[in-house]
Amino acid sequence: MRFGTVEAVRGIDLSVLAGRATALLGRNGAGKSTTMRVLAGVIPPTEGSVLVNGIDVRHDPVGAKRVTGYCPDVGGLVPRATPWEHLQLAARLRRLDDWKERARDALDQFELGGVAHRVTGGFSHGMGRRLSVVLAAFHRPDVLLLDEPFDGVDPLGVDATQQVIADARTRGAAVLVSTHLRDLAVEVCQDALVLRGGAAVAGMPAVALVGDAGADTYRALLD
Amino acid sequence: MRQLAAGVVDLRALLAFRSSGLNARSRRRLRIAAATVLVLTVAAAVVPAYLREPLQAEHARDLVAVLPSLYLGFAVLAALAAIGSGGGREVVPREQLVAFPVSAVTEHAGALLLAPLNIAWLLQTWALLGTTTYVLGPRNLVLVVVPLLLWVAVATALGQVVGWAFEAIRRGPNGTLVARGMVLVLSATIAALVATDQLTALLDNSPTVQVYLGAVYGSAAVWSRWLLAVGVLAALLAVVVLVGLVPARWALLRPLREEVRLESGYQRSRPSPGSDLAALLRIDRASIWRAVPLRRGLLVLGLMPGAVALTGSLEWGMITVLPGLVASGGALLFGVNAWCLDGRGALWRDSLPTDPRLGFAAKAIVLFEVLLASVAVTVLLASVRAGRPTATELAAVVMVALVVTAQVVAASLQWSVTSPYAVDMRSARATPAPPVVMVGYSARLSVRTTVVGLCFWLAALGPDWRVPVLLAVPFGCWSAYRLRRTAQLWAVPQNRARVVAVVAT
Repeated sequence: MRFGTVEAVRGIDLSVLAGRATALLGRNGAGKSTTMRVLAGVIPPTEGSVLVNGIDVRHDPVGAKRVTGYCPDVGGLVPRATPWEHLQLAARLRRLDDWKERARDALDQFELGGVAHRVTGGFSHGMGRRLSVVLAAFHRPDVLLLDEPFDGVDPLGVDATQQVIADARTRGAAVLVSTHLRDLAVEVCQDALVLRGGAAVAGMPAVALVGDAGADTYRALLD
Repeated sequence: MRQLAAGVVDLRALLAFRSSGLNARSRRRLRIAAATVLVLTVAAAVVPAYLREPLQAEHARDLVAVLPSLYLGFAVLAALAAIGSGGGREVVPREQLVAFPVSAVTEHAGALLLAPLNIAWLLQTWALLGTTTYVLGPRNLVLVVVPLLLWVAVATALGQVVGWAFEAIRRGPNGTLVARGMVLVLSATIAALVATDQLTALLDNSPTVQVYLGAVYGSAAVWSRWLLAVGVLAALLAVVVLVGLVPARWALLRPLREEVRLESGYQRSRPSPGSDLAALLRIDRASIWRAVPLRRGLLVLGLMPGAVALTGSLEWGMITVLPGLVASGGALLFGVNAWCLDGRGALWRDSLPTDPRLGFAAKAIVLFEVLLASVAVTVLLASVRAGRPTATELAAVVMVALVVTAQVVAASLQWSVTSPYAVDMRSARATPAPPVVMVGYSARLSVRTTVVGLCFWLAALGPDWRVPVLLAVPFGCWSAYRLRRTAQLWAVPQNRARVVAVVAT
């Protein structure tokens, strides 16, 4: 993936299987968010092939967007729309029927039910993150892409996000979680891929990154 | 004094920070733009002075009576511009400065520095200089121009004082109510003056007569009186600039109550939209009408030119020039960077499974309807005292309203796609693009829409109502072509990704 002369991401060979969650780890600028944006169909890849649920993102970005749920790393909310209006738009464009009850449950799960009709511009960072996860997951996508979902989120929000990831896996969705927080990543993911300088440096079972030994392994991969 | 010096030093740091983001091409263009403005300003002062004799203009004397009102009008419009921009424009966006101790001195000085970066300000300055030198001729031109330029500076600083004071009141307890009450009282006073034919007499006694006399003393080389006039204006400038610090500090220390109320208030839940387009339109409309500065800006744009036209009893032919002015002003509030309204939500919106051309259509429709609504308010107000229009005049006004609105939408969306900027439009002090870029946008929009307005003004003079309708066809086709071309640009994933990445930063 190139931005002008800058090669942001290169040579990432990544497969996430249905019913499994993979953690995308790495330092700032490692290429995690760019990878997520490419998979979400927001940025077209300049080289290589990207298949999401068997759909080529380059040739059928709308088809790929239909099967994914994406929580962007920055905000991801229209400042003057309410959570309910976000959900209405997503439900309409994703052709969802009988979504309201599910959406209310999801908002309640993330303790956002009381602010469903408040504009998101006044939300705290954590509230915004939680709503972004709701928007990514409430339509039960086959591929769930969560970019920094734990960033600035309180413990209850972290629990709710972990539950969303577990539910997605249970129903057979492929989940990709990009995060700096190794401890949380290894709790909810089975696999891990470490990026450095826009390239994948190691792929491993998430358990290899658990505990002090895992922390040492991770640190060694970052340097 | 130390605070003042520190404020100016901080302003230089902010300007350096702002200019550090410019590449070589932008710097070159900036230099060219600055040189062009300088040349045009000199031309505006010099050329009319030498035109009086060849034109044998006997009516130049008639203009003398208008000049003090023109000077006063400059101050009034400077104040309105400052009020419209929430006190004054910001050199660096607020959200980038939250962690830094930027003083009210720096904010005030920055707002003063940016006030001239506005095509309306420039046009009025040129009109003021040109009309005066046309009346007084080329003798001692430099001495004539000095008091005029000093007045321009005084009026701008005075406008800033009014702008900050109004913003401070608006941010206070029940501020919106008080501000609206003030506007109503002022409007009623002006309406009463117009109705009782006292406005002209009042304008004839305007203290700005002294500015004209200062220019006359310069022209006649009456040194002592000229020096006195210049000295008084210079002193007034220093005083007004310093006085402006008081309301600036007052305004900046107050919370943005109305914005906070809107952000923490609840919106009525509405039924699910019936189509994809309706769903997209709903979000885009919310982004405009729930933004305090945009709502206020559109209201001012709709009402102010209409009120001026109402006061001046414009004829139907001249009303054809107003829609271009209003539509351009509306686009400059947000339309020239339309995707910035999505903010960081742009990334999420682009991840939804829908044809990108539908999203583009929603933006175009919303921009069109918002601008047309403002234009309609202006035209309706202006029509109150314009008498009964002929069929041709009516057709010309309706057609020009549609044509310039489409023209402005086409230009705005093209700029939105080709030159996006990351902007938080929460504050009225923010602009959808950097101030210097805004000058370019406003100049281009003003020239284009004024030319179109004049074409329809000519068409309105004829006897056949079909002429303005037919005239609208090529203009409409050209705008449709430009919109289609921009929609194709937007449909290219790489272009869309670039816009989304910038506005969501």
